[in-house]
Amino acid sequence: MSKLKKLGLIVLFIWPQIIFANPINVTLHYIGPTDGQVWAGVQQGLSEANLQGQFLGQNYQVKNITEEELAALPQSEITAVLVGTDAKHILEIAKMKKLAYVPVFNLSSDADGLRQACLSNLLNIPLSKQMKTDALAQWQAKNPDTLVTAHAWHHDFVKFAASQLNNRFTKNHKTQMDDDAWAGWAAVKMLSDTVARTQKTDAADMLNYLKNDLSFDGQKGDTATFRETGQLRQIVLLIDKDDNIVAEAPLRGVKGGLDSLGMVTCKK
Amino acid sequence: MKLKNILLTTLIMASTAVWAEPSHRVFVTNEKDNTVSVIDTKTNEVTNTINIGERPRGIGLSPDQKLLYVAISEEGAIAVVDLDTLKVVKKLDAGEDPETFDVAPNGNIYISNEDDAQASVIDPKTGKIIEVIPVGLEPEGVAVSPDGSLALVTSESTNMVHVIDTAKHKVVKNILVAARPRGLAFNSDGSLAYSTSEVGNEVTIIDTKSLSIIKQASIDLPNSKPMDIAVSPDDKTIYVTTGRGNSVVVLDAKTLEMKANVPVGKRVWGLGMTRDGSRLYTADGVSSTVSVVDTATNKTIKTIEVGKFPWGVVVDD
Repeated sequence: MSKLKKLGLIVLFIWPQIIFANPINVTLHYIGPTDGQVWAGVQQGLSEANLQGQFLGQNYQVKNITEEELAALPQSEITAVLVGTDAKHILEIAKMKKLAYVPVFNLSSDADGLRQACLSNLLNIPLSKQMKTDALAQWQAKNPDTLVTAHAWHHDFVKFAASQLNNRFTKNHKTQMDDDAWAGWAAVKMLSDTVARTQKTDAADMLNYLKNDLSFDGQKGDTATFRETGQLRQIVLLIDKDDNIVAEAPLRGVKGGLDSLGMVTCKK
Repeated sequence: MKLKNILLTTLIMASTAVWAEPSHRVFVTNEKDNTVSVIDTKTNEVTNTINIGERPRGIGLSPDQKLLYVAISEEGAIAVVDLDTLKVVKKLDAGEDPETFDVAPNGNIYISNEDDAQASVIDPKTGKIIEVIPVGLEPEGVAVSPDGSLALVTSESTNMVHVIDTAKHKVVKNILVAARPRGLAFNSDGSLAYSTSEVGNEVTIIDTKSLSIIKQASIDLPNSKPMDIAVSPDDKTIYVTTGRGNSVVVLDAKTLEMKANVPVGKRVWGLGMTRDGSRLYTADGVSSTVSVVDTATNKTIKTIEVGKFPWGVVVDD
């Protein structure tokens, strides 16, 4: 067969057929309030996960459950658990025996204790208190006269395609994206990224990929990865009293890059 | 044989476009001052500045090289410039937030609508959007194959290269690549396509017959954020702008091994190449310059001041 004819046949018959032989269905479990920013962020992440899934043959859903319901769920039905409550409950859930190899996401607590616990299954998306303190110290060393606060996200953030994420969040939720909403979005988005790339939904495989191979685009700069403490490496936005973004930490010239912020390694 | 004839005609039509006499000019969109700078390639000086419209980004030429197309994102349009008079002769509706586009051999414009997760196809003769194709989030780079049969679109926030069959205007394959895919380019016969991943810092080679990835490699440079791509006329070398890496990297087109790293201006995105492959023109956004790179020596031979935040480049030489 001539090359051209072959090419023609391929165009006509093979390319138009996209068949998802085995669509992957993923159920994520969420514990926390369903009326706040964390939940709105989770919903935003979910809609984006399903938009991608539509092209790759994956369907995602998020089920809101209680801690008791989680405790009663068979391990085989749990892929990942998203938690938007306080530090005490997050730690309790992460320490549940059957979740030892299941990714448990902290979406809402800055408690340093959750990082110091160094649980192999707990993934902390928000900035820790220590990260914020370190970012503020970097700023104050150079600008002792201006007071700022440290945030993971800001509705005026534009760089690294942050504005596109801000736009679509506001469009869908009639409210502005903040730290909590970003955390909810990021967790679902990195989970769907993991499923898309590994084609696996086994919890232990997911956890392994998230901790070792993830190269996540959080729309705030360099790829985000997890420390051994389970903390997501990320830049910190510094906001002044007029609600303007004045800098991003790590500040230029500070040694250690992203790891100049917060606790990096676990005590051996 | 009918099919063969159609394909041959397409190939011939595609190749005739390449033979039109060039005007020895480079056109650069300046995102933040709403202009296009015109550079004479003989002197490498700016000869004209065209007031184009709000937030110009993507830029390209009609197949006969008589018209310049510029995506003016804030106006949701493509400005059409007559290249004899350098006047804007009309503005085509291009959907919401048009960013980049490519012109197919038959003249149709394939464009990404960044905020709408779709690609649009515009027939510039009628000025009508003839097709809207849903793609992933934040569609960005667009490239049409030399024979016009395929259009590729990257979606930055869903990390895919979408392959569109232009006969049906349907997505026929979605290829997952490294984080935040941006630029796209085909080699001369269209057998391979190259894509860059800005955040993942990778270049991917896609085989366009099997529509699968045959090679992925990261760029071994700190701060590299790969963006635009140009393929040398002999298909042996590819050139990639590195954004905040402030350089153009020269890669072996097969192995993706780095052969050279050429410093240019700051936050370099757009890239254009002369037909003979001897010169590159880069849009250095933060420096507000265009750098001219000599590919024989892999050196920047001239830096040209243009408007504010140059974004895209097209070369008619």
